[in-house]
Amino acid sequence: MSKKLLTVLDPKGQPSGIFGKVLDLKNPMAILDPEKQPTSTLEAMIGQKMADRLDTLEGKTVYLVETGFAGAADFMKEVEGWFQRNMPSVKTVMRSKRGNMFTDDPELWQEIKEHGDAAIVGVGG
Amino acid sequence: MFLRYVFPPHPVGFIPKEKLRGYVDGINPVSGKPLMPEMVEALTKPLTEEEKNPVIEKRPKRPRLLPPDTEENLYRLFIENGWTDGNPIILPTEERVAEMLTGTDRDPQEVIGRMSVTTHQERLEYTVEKVAVIAVMAGCRPEHLPVLLAIAATEIPAFPSSTTSFSSMIMVNGPIRHEIGMNCGLAALSPFNYANSVIGRAWTLMSINFGDARPGDTFMHSLGHPINYNNLCHAENEEDSAFEPYHVEKGFKPEESTVTLFRGWNYNGINLGPAKAMAEALKRQSSMGRAGTFIMDPLVSAHLKDEGFKTKEELRQYIAKEAETFPQMINFIVVGGQTNPMWALTDYTPSITVSIDEWIPKTGIKKDEKPIRMPQPVLCKDGICGI
Repeated sequence: MSKKLLTVLDPKGQPSGIFGKVLDLKNPMAILDPEKQPTSTLEAMIGQKMADRLDTLEGKTVYLVETGFAGAADFMKEVEGWFQRNMPSVKTVMRSKRGNMFTDDPELWQEIKEHGDAAIVGVGG
Repeated sequence: MFLRYVFPPHPVGFIPKEKLRGYVDGINPVSGKPLMPEMVEALTKPLTEEEKNPVIEKRPKRPRLLPPDTEENLYRLFIENGWTDGNPIILPTEERVAEMLTGTDRDPQEVIGRMSVTTHQERLEYTVEKVAVIAVMAGCRPEHLPVLLAIAATEIPAFPSSTTSFSSMIMVNGPIRHEIGMNCGLAALSPFNYANSVIGRAWTLMSINFGDARPGDTFMHSLGHPINYNNLCHAENEEDSAFEPYHVEKGFKPEESTVTLFRGWNYNGINLGPAKAMAEALKRQSSMGRAGTFIMDPLVSAHLKDEGFKTKEELRQYIAKEAETFPQMINFIVVGGQTNPMWALTDYTPSITVSIDEWIPKTGIKKDEKPIRMPQPVLCKDGICGI
């Protein structure tokens, strides 16, 4: 091959600082609609802080949220069983996220804020 | 945003409950710690300073040009950086990219989209010029650029990062099919047409470079999919079909040029038989429920008309009833060279149909003085061949 130097263009897209996509619950196929995206910026993500941790789970209400991913419901039932066997003072509340694993469920998050002390969400895939 | 994760063994789906019990009573294979105590700790251990004050480092803007180097070194760089599909590419020199940009009137620096193969990672932004870079790499000519720009502007990657190994399909309708030499007839889905091949490949290279597909990081197909190389790129055989063209069915005018993107997993073989056989095949198809797109030779469309189905809609209603599914989940496209009345059932569903016309120069498609074309099928005109 020739030893002549070439200048070529970078093929990679530019970082945009824009993350994520959110499905419209009423129209799950909207993930394919560019008008529905994007939804989250780098700044917005940094602004979302983790909740303070609890001192203990004893006597607390823990929501177990299954995402809809394959095996999630059965796995979370086993998590519930573990709490019943090992930490019976923990009250668990099983919930299935509406839509599917990609959809947001603001009503459920509000319910957890109002009635729960903590939440375990799973499984991812 | 930070979250605390705990990893059970994998897989979680489609395994006995006893095994799942073993998971929760067992250890996290990533950390080596007991799984459930770790989960409890994730909810009770105080936040670290890093978790309280998260900092996400912005990825730096990339320079337009790469440092000058020899052809050999640059070729190696593109492959080793994961910017290709592993097949040979044309290096996108400034001269080649400038020539490619003659294929559209649009401003080279116009941002036309952002793409990610995942649902949560940073989406990479791209301009008309970036699409031209990809077009050069894929081996395209300026006449192909309008189709690629229309595809890029959808922001849809050819392969989303699902462990289930998706694949996609591209179909072009309207006058542009013939202007740029696409194949909609004999062997349209095989590697015998320049335009079909390079357009299909270019969408893959866009998905790698704009969608930021990196195996094991952003791209998690368990098996992968051979259709990812070319995305079944073809044109519809509108002239020989007994039904109206797909894009007309979707509300476009016959004289408009469009590209439709489909997504699914499987191309389920070649079949023969009437509408009842099509319904039975759809009923047996399980991966995407009973949704799918039938790819049929023009001969099949004619036979279906003879069966009494005057329109695609009548056929759709019949198959939906027989297959116990919803009519809107069934699609038909007509492709092929009429050497055999065969059809294929796919589990593809259409994502979007978009116009190509807005990306075509006002003076028309930019063609080379002598456009590059692969040999056309030699068709028997007098029956001597016996077909």
